[in-house]
Amino acid sequence: MAGLISRGFLGRRRPAEVESRLPPGQYLVTDFPVLSAGPTPHTPLDKWSFTMEGLVRSPKTWSWAEFQKLPTETFTVDISCVTKWTKWSWAEFQKLPTETFTVDISCVTKWTKLDTKWLGVTVDTLLQAVQVDPAAHYVMAFSDGGYTTNLPLDEMVQGQAFVAFQFDDKPLAPEHGGPARLVVPHLYFWKSAKWIRGLRFMERDQPGFWESLGYHIHGDPWKEERYSGD
Amino acid sequence: METDEGDMNTALMVDGNAVAGQLQQIFGRDMTMAMARCAACAREAEMGALMVFTQAPGVVLRCPACQAVIARIVETPSAIYLEARGAAFLRMAAQP
Amino acid sequence: MEQPVLQWQAGTVTAIRPETLKTKSFTLALPKWMAHRPGQHYDVRLTAPVTAPDGYQTQRSYSIASAPERMGELELTVERIEDGEVSPYLHDVLVPGDQLEVRGPIGGYFVWEVSLGGPLLLIAGGSGVVPLMAMLRHRAAQHATMPTRMLYSSRTADDVIYRDELDALAASDRTFEVFFSFTRQPPEVFFTFTRQPPTGWTGYRRRIDAAMLGEVIKPFDKRARVYLCGPTLLVEAVANTLVQMELPTEQIRTERFGPSGA
Repeated sequence: MAGLISRGFLGRRRPAEVESRLPPGQYLVTDFPVLSAGPTPHTPLDKWSFTMEGLVRSPKTWSWAEFQKLPTETFTVDISCVTKWTKWSWAEFQKLPTETFTVDISCVTKWTKLDTKWLGVTVDTLLQAVQVDPAAHYVMAFSDGGYTTNLPLDEMVQGQAFVAFQFDDKPLAPEHGGPARLVVPHLYFWKSAKWIRGLRFMERDQPGFWESLGYHIHGDPWKEERYSGD
Repeated sequence: METDEGDMNTALMVDGNAVAGQLQQIFGRDMTMAMARCAACAREAEMGALMVFTQAPGVVLRCPACQAVIARIVETPSAIYLEARGAAFLRMAAQP
Repeated sequence: MEQPVLQWQAGTVTAIRPETLKTKSFTLALPKWMAHRPGQHYDVRLTAPVTAPDGYQTQRSYSIASAPERMGELELTVERIEDGEVSPYLHDVLVPGDQLEVRGPIGGYFVWEVSLGGPLLLIAGGSGVVPLMAMLRHRAAQHATMPTRMLYSSRTADDVIYRDELDALAASDRTFEVFFSFTRQPPEVFFTFTRQPPTGWTGYRRRIDAAMLGEVIKPFDKRARVYLCGPTLLVEAVANTLVQMELPTEQIRTERFGPSGA
């Protein structure tokens, strides 16, 4: 990489003791960086809705009040951002009576954050309310403000994805995606759409907001799938 | 001057001046004085005055009047992507 | 108008001067110096040694503080951000003799030169004063006399960058006035040079608001050319207020620095 080496500049940290738990190319953070592609949407809760549409037998919409009544679970996860941050904690899968999962999450901007605690509804629970067309293999998550991101349906089931509305035992803050966001811990965090308003079921994979502009269509941090062609 | 209680996403927002170097690399001339016409609301603004979000996997430039996305830039190790469908046009001086 | 081919070059730090507890000015000698336009900035790039996981690189933009009349060298004034990545390196590690990779000068929108005329109103929040200082230094070097006022908002008197220089400029140039406003601890006694300094006036003691803007802009009215720079939330609030005061939007130029420092 071209560039004058800056004497004494150390860059970011990747401590040896957590080396094996950080996906390749990620750095450790202990705060929760705010990343955003636009201003915070401010949909009032009485206007908020979550919709399952596309290749489903009949679309299903929940209001905020109805969404809150769905069975919820607590998740503690590590997250990784493609911008190379990793905030990390001791992660293990646990099942408490309300189903607790412990995972790591990573952002493509290279940070990984550990021990992040969420309360939310699994996509499995949401899928019980609709009959998805067998031809639907992919999902486009869509959010207030126009953001979209695509995922394989089989990577959203069996507890791999949830719609969270609490973080660290508090209502999810607007700058972190509140009132509700998608959390998909095993992929780069750009797939965990903030301000989510629904899922659209599709037959074929289609690139979302960042996937259509150079980012990897899948985004597995452990395979360092950051950019298309990786 | 401390940041207000206001919205953190707004506090993080900058403007086209912040990506002037990147735009100059792409276009070969200063672009902050180029007028961008928003494809969504038809208002015009200098690119230096666009709302810009840099804390993201890429850069997003938005219309200061209606907040629609005007352009996006992504830099990967091997390529630069520029998408500007949100601009009806960019208008700049004939001679840089 | 000259359009430099933007290329990185290795500047050499020739001097480092503390301005306030949290800000320092860095003088750089550049192999390919070119006269900039007041308000422009340089991009600074740091590269970690190859032992770092991937030759890690990061970049920031810093406004030029010096006037283009100061030939051959460049001054950047940088605020040290507590959890920052680059500013702590510049403040804590860099010493005269070190090299710093830069590219520029950059920008065409947030620029003022004497030829653009006045009356000129420069509004600064915190380190937003830096590009406005380049404009003032250029104006002074050109012995320009268009009526000019600066409204400068800081946390405390200790956070005022270029305090002595601004006071001296206002004292010696009757066409220039500076107004300070403090959002935190106001000083006990703080003299500011206006056309009619009230005795013991200690500056405004609040955030910039419509009343304050109305007082400062009064002699210029709707002819004012405004340059506004600082943390984004301050710029948004002040710009909106100016528009509500019916200042023509084409007379307002803004530069947002993002979130303020600690």
